[in-house]
Amino acid sequence: MVTFGTLSQFAALAFSLLTMACLLLGVMRDDGRWVQAGRRCLVSVAACATLASIALGYLFLSNNFQVEYVASYSDRALPLFYKLTAFWAGQKGSLLFWAWVLSLFSALVVYNNRRDPDSRLTPYVYLVLGGTLSFFLFLLCVVSSPFDLLDFVPKDGQGLNPMLQNPGMVFHPPTLFLGYIGFTVPFAYAIAAMTTGTTDASWIKKTRAWNVLSWIFLTVGIILGGQWAYVELGWGGYWAWDPVENASFIPWLASTAFIHTAIIQERRGIMKVWNMALILLTFLLCIFGTYLVRSGVLQSVHDFGATGLGGYFLAFLAIATIGGVYLLAESYRQFKTPNALESYLSRESTFLFNNVILLALAFATLLGTVFPFLSEAITGNKVTVGQPFFNQVNTPLFLVLIAITGVCPLIGWRKASPENLRKNFLRPALFALAAAVVLFASGIRMSYALLSFTLCAFVAGTILQEFVLAVLSRKAVTGEASWTAAPRLLWRMRRRYGGHLVHLGLVLVVVGITGSSAFKLEAQGTLSKGESLAIGEYELKYENFRKYEKLNRTIYAATLGVFTDGARIGSLDAERRYYVNARQPTTEVSLRSTLKEDLYVTMPGISRNGDITLKVAVNPLLVWIWIGGGLMVLGGILAIIPKRRRETP
Amino acid sequence: MIPFRQKAAILLVLSLLLVSPDIGLALSESEVSESLLCFACPGEPLSIDRCGGGDQMPAAISRMLGEGKSKEEILQYFVGEFGEEILTIPPKRGFNLVAYIGPFAVLLLGVAVAFLLIRKWSSAGTHADRGADGTASPPPLGDADRRRVEEALSNFHEED
Repeated sequence: MVTFGTLSQFAALAFSLLTMACLLLGVMRDDGRWVQAGRRCLVSVAACATLASIALGYLFLSNNFQVEYVASYSDRALPLFYKLTAFWAGQKGSLLFWAWVLSLFSALVVYNNRRDPDSRLTPYVYLVLGGTLSFFLFLLCVVSSPFDLLDFVPKDGQGLNPMLQNPGMVFHPPTLFLGYIGFTVPFAYAIAAMTTGTTDASWIKKTRAWNVLSWIFLTVGIILGGQWAYVELGWGGYWAWDPVENASFIPWLASTAFIHTAIIQERRGIMKVWNMALILLTFLLCIFGTYLVRSGVLQSVHDFGATGLGGYFLAFLAIATIGGVYLLAESYRQFKTPNALESYLSRESTFLFNNVILLALAFATLLGTVFPFLSEAITGNKVTVGQPFFNQVNTPLFLVLIAITGVCPLIGWRKASPENLRKNFLRPALFALAAAVVLFASGIRMSYALLSFTLCAFVAGTILQEFVLAVLSRKAVTGEASWTAAPRLLWRMRRRYGGHLVHLGLVLVVVGITGSSAFKLEAQGTLSKGESLAIGEYELKYENFRKYEKLNRTIYAATLGVFTDGARIGSLDAERRYYVNARQPTTEVSLRSTLKEDLYVTMPGISRNGDITLKVAVNPLLVWIWIGGGLMVLGGILAIIPKRRRETP
Repeated sequence: MIPFRQKAAILLVLSLLLVSPDIGLALSESEVSESLLCFACPGEPLSIDRCGGGDQMPAAISRMLGEGKSKEEILQYFVGEFGEEILTIPPKRGFNLVAYIGPFAVLLLGVAVAFLLIRKWSSAGTHADRGADGTASPPPLGDADRRRVEEALSNFHEED
């Protein structure tokens, strides 16, 4: 199976190189037969990469520890589910996963274009996809193969890092990768549009689903990563501005900017050069993100499987950047749209400002991430840039972003009138002001928290007002009842309201972040059996202690009774786990989550006499981060559900 | 009747007035530890330390908090022990200022460029009230016409 996997990998590389050769000949000789051959080669890459992936999966399932990658990330005791997901636990498997998914996406692009085989764009699209595939397959075949063998056969593997044995971590890396990989398709279309001088919005329309879907995957990946950090790392937070977290967040910001201005190009046929630049930037940041995740160049909590591939990634990034910028400069005159915007007060203008803020945030995050390198290169001093820095720099930018999120969707296209502004914004502004007064009266004095909640109220107010007015308008025209008009409106204008749902989700995420960071309570203490620790309105009583075996771990669990006002409302099990093959015990988080707040408990210490050390936190409103994230994803999905040709109004 | 702009200004001023300075709360261990790295794990913030090697640092922080020391005093103690590399936030001086000022400079530059572009692209000022063909814009709609337009718009399939 090792030979089969290796051969499949090499066959995939050969087909990807053939794809490029055939397509180059096809476009140079203007011969459709070569293009047809190139298309078939691209589909063959998918078949071969699939076989290689099946081979690696089989090697994990069959405990073939002579394979160095399997021995590094699995062992006999590892549950079946995690054996399969160990596929992408390290660098080599992640590269194969990248190549495999990109090959499947490429085959899907070929399938989608089956009715339009003579399109001017498609040969160049396939060429870019083939080129990107060749890069990853070259790394797999020549530099970092998951099928490399050890000189001996170990009795057992080293096992999967216990922190990766968590459902959130199972889906977090692949969803992030799906997001990164997905943006290769719009990038390929953009390159094709620039090469062929296709100045209309056809490439934007064709890639809209790819853009939004990739954005959804990035969003899901980021949320799952935060959730994993929250329940697994045990430090009480969900986002540490770790370099690898930032690596996913930066392309998310760039792609969010692109999704907004792509709408303008679709609607008004303007900002073509800007959109080309944005998708180029998004793709480069995705490659940069993959490079950061698996190169080991930065110290990170994600150092699970890093080896030195930095040079290859940097070379690929340089080629893609130089090529992209050259094409952009060459096609600038063709794509330039003069006198595009009509007023400062128009949706186009607010989208432009929204782009500026999103890109400033991306720049701030990127600068903070690479600043240790910059500093060392320029001053010889390697400084550390951590969470407090990012919070300090990014929070004001985020607040501006939230404010503009409320403004953008309600300003009319082309040119808004003062009457339009008054009609759309007076009520939400009053609502926000009322919310601020109530919050102030209820004792909230922290300026950032107050401002953040007020802005959230403003954005929620604008969305709510817009939807209610639209429902009333529909009712007036169709005579439907509210409960019929609302869902029908939501469905019929799903692209518009999908976007609003995303914004509403963002508001909830911000509410959760603000509440949990501004009003967090913490306590720590060592308890003997029968003793209690108080935090906020809770009291935790140490009731029982037990030790037991489960799957591949030994668990030490303390049962804690949870009391409020003297009444028992439940119990929590604080755990420390000793995994087979793990060098250190892990602290498991015990959580009592409500819409109001999370009670978060970890047990960092157990003494010989049975006393336990507890770290406890109350994180207000934190669950709204996950709910808001879910709503953002739901909104994104709603927005890309295609319309049927005949759809009832 | 107060003009709309004045109403907006009043709302803005009232909102800003509500944003009062933070009231000092008791300093917690995590507020200090988030500004420090674990001395045993290079690059790992003390607040998410997984190695346990830095256990002495939280103990020292707790002790100093108990003695009533401020966050700055505690951080200075650790800088004295391990150097500035122990901090998760670069001191605001010298080249480090690039990291602090850079993003806001980019934001201001971006906003300025956006304003200039819109000004350049727009016909505001010179052609504000003229259509594409250079003719004057149509007169404002009456109430009845406006209602009809709004009804028609409510049926209009606006996508974004």
